[in-house]
Amino acid sequence: MAPAIDPAERLLDLVIALVNTSGRMTKQQVRSSVAGYQDAPSDEAFERMFERDKDTLRDLGVPVLTVTDTRHGDDVGYRIDLAAYALPAVQLTPAELGVLSLAVQVWQDATLRADTTRALTKLRAVGEGPSATDLLAGLAPRVRADGSAFGPLVEAVQERRAVHFTYRAASSGEVRERTVEPWRLLARRGGWVLVGRDRDRGAARSFRLGRIQGGVRPVGAPGAFPPPSDDELAGALAAWTQGPERTAAIAVLPDRAAALRARAVEDAGFDVDAVPGAREVLVGRDLVHVRYRSTWELAEEIVGYGAAVVALGPSGVRDAVLDLLRTASRLDIPAEAPHA
Amino acid sequence: MPERAPDRLLRMLGMVAYLDRHDDVAVDDLAAQFGVTPEQVLADVDTLWVTGTPGYLPYDLIDFDASAYERGVVTLVEARGMTRPLRLGGREAVALVAALRAMAASLGPALDDERAAVLRSALDKVTAAAGDAAAAVDVQLQVAATPQAGAAIGEALARGRRLHIRYVDAGDRTSEREVDPIRLVTEDDRSYLLAWCRASHGERLFRVDRIVAADVLDAPAEDHPVPEGADVFTPEGGEAVTLHLASQGRWIVETTPAEAVRDLPDGSFEVDLSVVQPAWLRHLLLQAAHTVIDVRPPEVAHDAAAFARRALAAYAPLLPADEGS
Repeated sequence: MAPAIDPAERLLDLVIALVNTSGRMTKQQVRSSVAGYQDAPSDEAFERMFERDKDTLRDLGVPVLTVTDTRHGDDVGYRIDLAAYALPAVQLTPAELGVLSLAVQVWQDATLRADTTRALTKLRAVGEGPSATDLLAGLAPRVRADGSAFGPLVEAVQERRAVHFTYRAASSGEVRERTVEPWRLLARRGGWVLVGRDRDRGAARSFRLGRIQGGVRPVGAPGAFPPPSDDELAGALAAWTQGPERTAAIAVLPDRAAALRARAVEDAGFDVDAVPGAREVLVGRDLVHVRYRSTWELAEEIVGYGAAVVALGPSGVRDAVLDLLRTASRLDIPAEAPHA
Repeated sequence: MPERAPDRLLRMLGMVAYLDRHDDVAVDDLAAQFGVTPEQVLADVDTLWVTGTPGYLPYDLIDFDASAYERGVVTLVEARGMTRPLRLGGREAVALVAALRAMAASLGPALDDERAAVLRSALDKVTAAAGDAAAAVDVQLQVAATPQAGAAIGEALARGRRLHIRYVDAGDRTSEREVDPIRLVTEDDRSYLLAWCRASHGERLFRVDRIVAADVLDAPAEDHPVPEGADVFTPEGGEAVTLHLASQGRWIVETTPAEAVRDLPDGSFEVDLSVVQPAWLRHLLLQAAHTVIDVRPPEVAHDAAAFARRALAAYAPLLPADEGS
């Protein structure tokens, strides 16, 4: 008996056969003529082998079409759709391939790393030469995927297929089953976010991937919901989009808060006398202006300096700082513990 | 671990498409192109040579120039219709596009014009090749870094030079040091410089947003052995602190290396932290004050509350008399 054919070789023979077939190949034709399938010891073993190979090819992006021929009753055949097979015309320089090699190392999650590696292998075929990595030497970017939900959600977004998962809401701590029509995945400060339509609530909702418990399961058929309208999507993304850059005024003790001072800008528009009490605060302190986009992010940064940094304005920033400080000032009074 | 069949399949398909575009490629060059050993290339070519369309007679097979192959040169003679490079799968495209966007966002400050342009063109080309898939993800990560310091770190790494940095630690103490940069590690929206600190004779992780100034020196950076995992922040030997937090404080476990997390029936949870820098924990408590139910040991809560009361006192002139603190 001839030695068993390597699975990679069998897959390759299957691809070549389905690309070159005139019309289509039935399972029986595959079994009798494509190298590697003769090894199957039984009908069941062949079925399993062929189904698995077909899934593998589709998973890799090979467009395996199912073709039924009415003249042959229910007889099902297969071929590869050459029009959909090819990568759009593109050519990559060695330096660009070097960037893609580094991208493979970005993901901390093994599945996503494998996906990125496969994408790189495909793109190496359209590289003008081997990847040049010296350009980005010493750089090690990393991104977490926040658990196992990312991969299935990407697929669901692309297929427009609803998903089902268990979610722990941050507002209440309540753990509940959710069925969601997934629209988009966002990478934001603090992790990944899924934006979509919550079917039970009948409205757009956001979900932190890190708060999804257990697996994400597709429900129903692909293409089962219409894509969101531009307005719906914009509305859902609004909370996750950064506002315009503004300038805050802070009063800083000498030689303190060097990290804030390093970001200092000029602000000719600031009027000390428009802030009652500011002149008194500024005695023995430096007036520093810093740019910011998110009020609460800046407030959280400022409270870390305690008495060394006083927020003068805008009032939104000052109130946010005061709110945090007042709450924190009662941390050692048990009766005042916040309610969940 | 032996290579998985799908990965080998993709490389062999890629090789045929590549060889259709390039004549007479040396085995070593083909190995470099696909990031594998020359031995693997020989094994792949040998496999390709016996694959083809059913029948598998000589003219059915993928074929190479045999005499060239004996000289270590791969020349494709017959491709059996496999000349097109395979498109990206949906998940592959998204994973790659998201990784590139995250790189552009997080490495931005450390890249000079040339390198920023390469990253941008790679991203543009892959986004075009990915088609609709690219729309599935939206990456907005902003890494806080002083532009001057970010550029200097990037330059020192690229040219292998020593750096002089001004660094502010979690306790707001500023120090000046000379360091040999090893790696710039960006993790989500945070970014660290792994460097050999010449003053403390050891490798250190510096938060890039706390490097307030950096100058590239003329001296070359020396090579230093770096233990595995040195670029991952692992608090060791710190004080054990347990926070009992309301559900809204869940972001803390999402952004902080926690020793353990215990969910409680009412939706609140406890998180065990190993705290090396008391100033870091105090800052965390101030940020999360709204969600803190209990802190153990209690002195930690007292320290944070006293710190907040001192800060509030500094606001007195800004507040109406009846509002006070």
